[in-house]
Amino acid sequence: MSVSAEPRPVGVDLQENEENRALVEAIEADNEDLNIRHMPGMIRLTKNGRLVINQASVEARLGRPWETHEFQLAIISYFGEFVEWDDDQIVIAWNH
Amino acid sequence: MAVKAMYDYDWPSRSAAEFYGDDQLVHVWFRGNVFFVSAQTFRFPKAMPFGELVGLCKGFFAADPDFVPDAMDSANWKVDGQPITPDLDRSLEENGVGHKSLVEFTL
Amino acid sequence: MTVPAQKPVRKLSMKQRYSALTHDLDWTPTYVTEEQVFPHTTFEGIKVHDWSKWDDPFRLTVEAYNKYQAEKDRRLYAVLDGFAQSQGQLGLTDARYMNAMKIFLQGIPIHEYDAHRNFAYLARYANGPGARFAALCQSLDELRHAQTEIHTLSHYNKHFDGMHDWHKWSDRVWYLSVPKSFFEDALTAGPFEWLIAIGFSFEYLLTNLLFVPFMSGAAFNGDLPTMTFGFSAQSDESRHMTLGLEAIKFMLEQDEDNLPIVQDWLDKWFWRGYRLISLVAGMMDYMLPKRVMSWKEAFELYFEEQMLGGLFKDLEYYGIKPPRHVDWAIGEKEILSHQVYWILYQYSHAAAFSTTIPDAEDQAWLEQAYPETWPVYRDTVWNKAQRVMDEGGRYFNPGLPQLCTVCQIPMGFTEPGDPLTQCQRQSVYEGERYDFCSDGCQWIFDREPVKYRQSWLPVHQIFQGNCGGPTLPDVAAWYGLQPGDGAEYLGSPDHQNWLAWHGQAPQEG
Repeated sequence: MSVSAEPRPVGVDLQENEENRALVEAIEADNEDLNIRHMPGMIRLTKNGRLVINQASVEARLGRPWETHEFQLAIISYFGEFVEWDDDQIVIAWNH
Repeated sequence: MAVKAMYDYDWPSRSAAEFYGDDQLVHVWFRGNVFFVSAQTFRFPKAMPFGELVGLCKGFFAADPDFVPDAMDSANWKVDGQPITPDLDRSLEENGVGHKSLVEFTL
Repeated sequence: MTVPAQKPVRKLSMKQRYSALTHDLDWTPTYVTEEQVFPHTTFEGIKVHDWSKWDDPFRLTVEAYNKYQAEKDRRLYAVLDGFAQSQGQLGLTDARYMNAMKIFLQGIPIHEYDAHRNFAYLARYANGPGARFAALCQSLDELRHAQTEIHTLSHYNKHFDGMHDWHKWSDRVWYLSVPKSFFEDALTAGPFEWLIAIGFSFEYLLTNLLFVPFMSGAAFNGDLPTMTFGFSAQSDESRHMTLGLEAIKFMLEQDEDNLPIVQDWLDKWFWRGYRLISLVAGMMDYMLPKRVMSWKEAFELYFEEQMLGGLFKDLEYYGIKPPRHVDWAIGEKEILSHQVYWILYQYSHAAAFSTTIPDAEDQAWLEQAYPETWPVYRDTVWNKAQRVMDEGGRYFNPGLPQLCTVCQIPMGFTEPGDPLTQCQRQSVYEGERYDFCSDGCQWIFDREPVKYRQSWLPVHQIFQGNCGGPTLPDVAAWYGLQPGDGAEYLGSPDHQNWLAWHGQAPQEG
């Protein structure tokens, strides 16, 4: 079975509001070469390969505990797969 | 292919000819004119002369302000994709128009 | 001074809690067979060897689900209250924007409810606990979506026509047979086909095209409540996308004999779903006074780039190919919205929304978004419709359209590469002719003719005498339409009210 070697883009669409500002900043800080597109009411973050959301980075910017489950309040859509969703990290990537 | 089901799946058509008695559904398509966004469906008697269909078309398609009704007299006709020269005095059925046939004309 | 975040002490990790509260609650029946408990998961031919392999990446438990759903609802209802109190409807871009919301209200919430029912069924009848729990969450989500959509739009019902009888219209009105037949087709399939139809093809492949640009469009047109319920629903939708993706991967990993069955369903439901959301194309490009992106751009971004460029490369690993007829869909992206709106325009006298000729500003937008194709439609149909208008008339189609047996949309789609010749396909089954708008719909019929010959085609039913009578007023009365619900927007009650609310003189109707 052929598996493409080139990293393909993955991404998330998030609601753009004050609640999510720290989350977006954390994603920006932890993901190099992140592409950002603003649309009315939402923000679209895409990246080649893997997109990582770290609980510690979000909490550091938010100044309060943040469960990774809370990501569900922010997300509008995504493409890729949630290859990891743990207490401390969420990873979006393609599997193959 | 049979429908996958937990029993022998067989249900009749909801558009079968028997629902229309002595009439039938006929689709009339003014090919090359998208002002009428699709072919039109009519319920016509099977015994209606083809000429009557031509007459109805002259009125119906006049909703297009550029339509010239008399042009219908020299239209080219097809029924279910086959070119025909309709016999205007004979019935739709005798001209090969069946239930849900596509009657197509170009001007 | 920064305060270090305090970590709550937790006995179990997320993974462990998920496992303990879902998979570990399962048991193996002893006094009945598995087949007796789960009688519906074998007849479709899908082979499953180990249901415990079905996992949910979200690792949700009942407790976490309730907590976050309650928070989503709290946020939504705060917005709805604020909007209603502040008379937010006055701040919309234009009253004609509401036509898009009318179609949404008439066509979507009732089928969210259908989805709620069938996921509740899966929550009982799927063999594995992972699948059952994910289906249970989705079932509750879909019920929430139906309720929040209806609740949100009920505010507009106080101020605009075309929203009062959406429930009845869904069962009766011609264009609403399009979503109704789509969802009922899926509801009457087996559980695995349902998962590929709704869970995967609709939720993962196509739903972004329905919700994201549309809700962003709502945000752009001053429709705060719709934006909020839309994004609130979409946050659940990402879980649904995950369930759909999990479902297809699970079937493909369980047995290689499942591949051809899954591919066939994918081919079928891609096309069914794509035809359904063509209504969205017309709404996006023609019914939003201010637009975020064109249908074409949304299709390229959310389908071609994300799905064909990303997802299908992943599924290639299992031997899955991009959907049959996908090239046809790509070929239509330049013309789809023009054709759909032209259908809606000429039949809106029998509808619960109104339409109007794109004004100068709309036309300028259409021209830059579709430089190749907009001029074709402007010159062949819109200029003529304008002439009719200028002479004091309004062009409505005087008859009834030929409908596609499968998608049930009037057959106004054209041959590939020829935007001015409608596509005609016909199959004969057991001596009866059936009509189709495209190769895609014909292929779907030819696979299962006995299913699709039962289509309740509104035009055929009117001619059988089942819809109140033979004339337009008879049918409109049976539909439950009232004056002002449909027809031309300019001069309509919605338009006149809008002008009056903003202190402008009414226009001649």
